[in-house]
Amino acid sequence: MSEAVDVLEALLFASDAPIEAERIQEVLELDSPAAARELADALRRRLDGEGRALQVLEVGGGFRLVTRPEVAPWLVKLQRSKTKSRLSRPALETLAIIAYRQPVSRPDVDAIRGVNSEGVLDNLLDRRMIRIGGRKDSPGRPFLYETTREFLVAFGLRDVSDLPKVEGELMVPDAAAAEGAGEAADAGEVAAAADSPQQDPGASGPDVAPRS
Amino acid sequence: MSPETVGALAGEPGGLTVRVESFVGPLDLLLHLCRTNEMDLAHLSVRTITDQYLTHLESVRFQDLETAGSFMVMAATLIYLKSKLLLPAGPDDGAEALDEEGEILRQELAERLREYARIKAVGAWLALREAEQALLFGRTSSELPPPEDVPLEDLSVHLLQRALQRLIEEQKRQAPREIEPNPLSVLERMNEILALLRHTWSLLFSSVAGRERIRAEWVVTLLALLELVRLGQVRARQAEPFGEITIEKNALSVSEPARAAMPDDRGPDGERANE
Repeated sequence: MSEAVDVLEALLFASDAPIEAERIQEVLELDSPAAARELADALRRRLDGEGRALQVLEVGGGFRLVTRPEVAPWLVKLQRSKTKSRLSRPALETLAIIAYRQPVSRPDVDAIRGVNSEGVLDNLLDRRMIRIGGRKDSPGRPFLYETTREFLVAFGLRDVSDLPKVEGELMVPDAAAAEGAGEAADAGEVAAAADSPQQDPGASGPDVAPRS
Repeated sequence: MSPETVGALAGEPGGLTVRVESFVGPLDLLLHLCRTNEMDLAHLSVRTITDQYLTHLESVRFQDLETAGSFMVMAATLIYLKSKLLLPAGPDDGAEALDEEGEILRQELAERLREYARIKAVGAWLALREAEQALLFGRTSSELPPPEDVPLEDLSVHLLQRALQRLIEEQKRQAPREIEPNPLSVLERMNEILALLRHTWSLLFSSVAGRERIRAEWVVTLLALLELVRLGQVRARQAEPFGEITIEKNALSVSEPARAAMPDDRGPDGERANE
């Protein structure tokens, strides 16, 4: 026992926050952060290979040990409570604006959304998805908002560059699937098919897959 | 919504059965209308979307005044654009010819819609990620004793402010509340003085400010008086330091409401004495 990879497993098991490669290097007295990454990779391969219920996730600038999605139903049952309340559509859209434009002020967020975002921002602040990063050097010196590490963890992102790249017009998801991604986006027009106001955001995944 | 339903909706132009409450803002509604009409954002048909937007607006139930306002602002912009179409077009102009200003407005609107469409798509993507991540369970509190230094990186002024606010509110709930009369406004007091002067030539400051010598009253009255003097509507005279002030109608001034002469909205009507 007590091979480096075992120790790393223990570290990730005991920690509530993602552990950075630098921190792993420090604790395990490794030569470089790269060595720590290799170790994390080795642990990932081991867990995957043994078909264990746990997996190593790289989120929020560090590594984290979480369960696999397949076992989620039992965990929900164990919890005996409802899963965490999801963010509303306005909250997600506001979060998207902040994630791409950060640091960004409320007037700028309002302008893009076309509605007042005060309540939504308060909600996001309370849920620690965003924080106040400073003040803008413009009249009224409004607060500037930016996303937090909790945001990255909650959405399973390594860092903000993990967000999908959006340029030009995004297509309506249904149409994107039908026409094949890419072409319609270049044309810079709304894809032909009608789109309902999205009740089910899950339907719109494919056209904004993350960059790898 | 299944693909079939989507097709059916797009197929018949009259089939705009939409749950309107689900629109987050005016841009959301507008974007939806453009898509149901298979409209190219680069060539917005002002006539079509204006008519449909207004039709939808009637059935929208607004959560609050501010949201209603944002929908109305958009409606005003659209109506303004449409009104420009009513002007006779030049012989070379297309079906929807707008003048330069109108064209800029339309371009701006199209750009905002495009931007909003992008954000909406990313929002949907985030929702997907959130749902995926909700299936993964990790430790939420550490097994290790908390580190000695509290990590400050993800704390913000906001949290501090919230904490303080909670404390203050707690205090407020415990202490008996003092009920205060409506705060005086300088503008109201100015109008009072002017009204009194309509019937008489001169007034005593003390008679306007009240005998009870409430500090706020006196301050507001003095500010009102000074403002009126500045605007040239009254004259004030004080014979000796701390003596009585006589207020007189300024013979030269045309009696007009004080509001018309306000320099801007940060004028005295914005100030409240008790603050």
